[in-house]
Amino acid sequence: MATEFPLPPVLTYYPSSSSTPPSLITQGAEGRLYKSTHLASSRPCALKYRPPKPYRHPILDARLTKARIQAEAKVLDRCCREGVPVPAVYAMDAAAGWMMLEWIEGQPVRAGINVWLGARPETDEAIDAANDAHQTPLINLMERIGTVVGALHLTGIIHGDLTTSNMMLQPWKTTHTSQQQTNGEEAAAKEAAVQGDVVLIDFGLATTSSSDEDRAVDLYVLERAFASTHPRAEKLFEHVLEAYGKTFKKAPSVLVKLADVRMRGRKRSMLG
Amino acid sequence: MALEKLTIDNTPSNQNIYLALFRDVDADTTQALQKQLLARNPAFEYAFIDASSIISRVHLLSAIYNALNAVATNTLQTPNVHSEIVLSLSPSNNIADAYRRWGFAAGKTTDLIVVKVVFHDNEQTEEQVWAHLKEHIPTGTVVDPITDEEIAKSTDWSKVRKYYKLNGVPALDRIKDDAEKKREMERLAVMGMALRGL
Amino acid sequence: MAAPIPKNKRRRIALGCEGSANKLGIGVIAHDAVTGEPTVLSNVRHTFVSPPGTGFLPKDTAAHHRSFFVRVAKQALADAGISISEIDCICYTRGPGMGGPLTSVAIGARTLSLLWGNIPLVGVNHCVGHIEMGRAITGAQNPVVLYVSGGNTQVIAYAEQRYRIFGEALDIAVGNCLDRFARTLEISNDPAPGYNIEQLARRGQTLLDLPYAVKGMDCSFSGILTRADELAAQMKKELSQGKETFTPADLCFTLQETVFAMLVEITERAMAHVGSNQVLIVGGVGCNERLQEMMCAMAAERGGSVYATDERFCIDNGIMIAHAGLLAYETGFQTPLDESTCTQRFRTDEVFVKWRN
Repeated sequence: MATEFPLPPVLTYYPSSSSTPPSLITQGAEGRLYKSTHLASSRPCALKYRPPKPYRHPILDARLTKARIQAEAKVLDRCCREGVPVPAVYAMDAAAGWMMLEWIEGQPVRAGINVWLGARPETDEAIDAANDAHQTPLINLMERIGTVVGALHLTGIIHGDLTTSNMMLQPWKTTHTSQQQTNGEEAAAKEAAVQGDVVLIDFGLATTSSSDEDRAVDLYVLERAFASTHPRAEKLFEHVLEAYGKTFKKAPSVLVKLADVRMRGRKRSMLG
Repeated sequence: MALEKLTIDNTPSNQNIYLALFRDVDADTTQALQKQLLARNPAFEYAFIDASSIISRVHLLSAIYNALNAVATNTLQTPNVHSEIVLSLSPSNNIADAYRRWGFAAGKTTDLIVVKVVFHDNEQTEEQVWAHLKEHIPTGTVVDPITDEEIAKSTDWSKVRKYYKLNGVPALDRIKDDAEKKREMERLAVMGMALRGL
Repeated sequence: MAAPIPKNKRRRIALGCEGSANKLGIGVIAHDAVTGEPTVLSNVRHTFVSPPGTGFLPKDTAAHHRSFFVRVAKQALADAGISISEIDCICYTRGPGMGGPLTSVAIGARTLSLLWGNIPLVGVNHCVGHIEMGRAITGAQNPVVLYVSGGNTQVIAYAEQRYRIFGEALDIAVGNCLDRFARTLEISNDPAPGYNIEQLARRGQTLLDLPYAVKGMDCSFSGILTRADELAAQMKKELSQGKETFTPADLCFTLQETVFAMLVEITERAMAHVGSNQVLIVGGVGCNERLQEMMCAMAAERGGSVYATDERFCIDNGIMIAHAGLLAYETGFQTPLDESTCTQRFRTDEVFVKWRN
């Protein structure tokens, strides 16, 4: 698939002999994501490129592309300075439609949770309160998610597309093992899958807002996405909200609003 | 020879980039250099950078990368790639401020980083560049190799914090470990440069 | 409880009555009893056109529909060349739309039903009518549907027995935005304000600056209309001072380029979301060739294709109501007389689509 698309100009320069060639990772409606390098191979990066849209008037297209890249970069800058875990911006050329971001090692939270839940999570029975005790590493992850989303909202930013695919699990430098070693290798691998720092990615739809409503909708989108992606662990989502509720002063009122949003059964409810 | 030839990923191949670091340069030298710059002597087309405003190689190379991209896309905001490197170190579009903060101050700057970009249509060799530099920067110690540790010896952290608006930034204040804090400052500085003027 | 088919019956026939806005449409459709293949037997329409600078008011529109109902129905029957006894069901638009016009046509449909010996009634969702007619005419199998008209702006995809709304206008519909801007410029409403904007836009040269309001898969148009109206006022003022920096054509061009880019963008996002590469454009605004052209450019880049219908089917008509109604009727659905009401609000995703799997 990668060969179907011409590379963005920034990646067409003569690569140094030591560098790995850029590779296309995803092609979405918004644009393409490449893995490349910033300065040297020791600095892997994600290059986000918004190619020109042939259907749009060129002036309008240029204006929108530039504004969107700038908006996303500003959100990331604000998060970084506030200490919300997001990738840093290494370089950008908004007019040319690209932005180079820090490469986040590790796998998406979605994949980690699926490893934890087992190979075919959707067919197994739902996790209930009775076996919660065995779920401590997963619950800890849920709490870390809640804390990170709370930190994001505290800075006045709404992500706009929170899913477990838009969160990475950046491996810890040392693994924390909570369970006894006697559980064996398989259990250790399972546990490792849900360890790591939660890093939020893909702020292409992010906006600035401090309203309870917008924050609640952001949480609701995550809740729906979580339920459809990990139906078996749906009940554990309360741990996300619980941790979120402790992150800033107004968080509890956002959770009250969330109940409203759920009641309204927003049209988004069928999206999952 | 203590001129380092840099390779930077994803930059056009039609140029050579050279780097040098001089420590403890005397006032006469920087004053003489400034005269040449004010006279716009084309033989003195270098990016002269005050090393005390530089954090690390990544910090410096990021500025060079951004300036080379401006050359490649015909979006230079200053006369040439060398002045653009100095501007690229700044998080704002104020060119005079950028020169004052990251360029050298005659008679004051002691540690001097020099970057030279030689495009291939220019015949200048590495030896010629180095000979010219040595001739006009006769004082001070030539640092070789130019490692992060060597650069850090010159860094004035209070200046860096001020220039990149890093005072009172929550992301830094929560970090206890000094080395980690410096890495984070580099990360935020590079980001400030990438978002210049936004 | 599917309707029994007499052994000798080769086809089922439905009469459809549409009048949710300013078009009164009555049409007759036949479905092959075995293959389901639809055949349009007649498609008659009469449009209420208001003077330039005005919109159609519910009261006047309802009066129009009442006074033309009999004429249009007779014509539809004559064109179809069928006898009343062949009609299996009478379909009418239950909503969404304007209350007065909807009610007038529903009364007409009920009257026909009773007059012709209790022919079963089928209440139809207007949007589903557009979608089903579009699918039938174009042969698009499972497209993402962009439904754009004076009253609706929706990006729809089918999943599990429902047409699900992925994105929509958060305030006014795109067609309403165009119609109202036509009023600002006092462009003729004949044959349709949107059509006249399209013709004027072809002569536009300069792209002016209008807001661009896409939020995820939703969009909004009222802010754009406000700004376009301001620009129009500025233009008139300048013109009175003997200046001309831009023309009405430039304004129409800018408005189309901006709002259509938004529509194509949300459609593309929905396509990426559901993994489809077919787009079906339905609704009155769907006739616009510039919109179709932009959609084609987007779909081509994704290796997909665009399906659109011409004005006979994308503008409100009775046939689409007959077709969608007959599809439901064939699964056993009927609307009892005492429940044959109308509703101004009737979401596309409320309809249980039993005829698809």
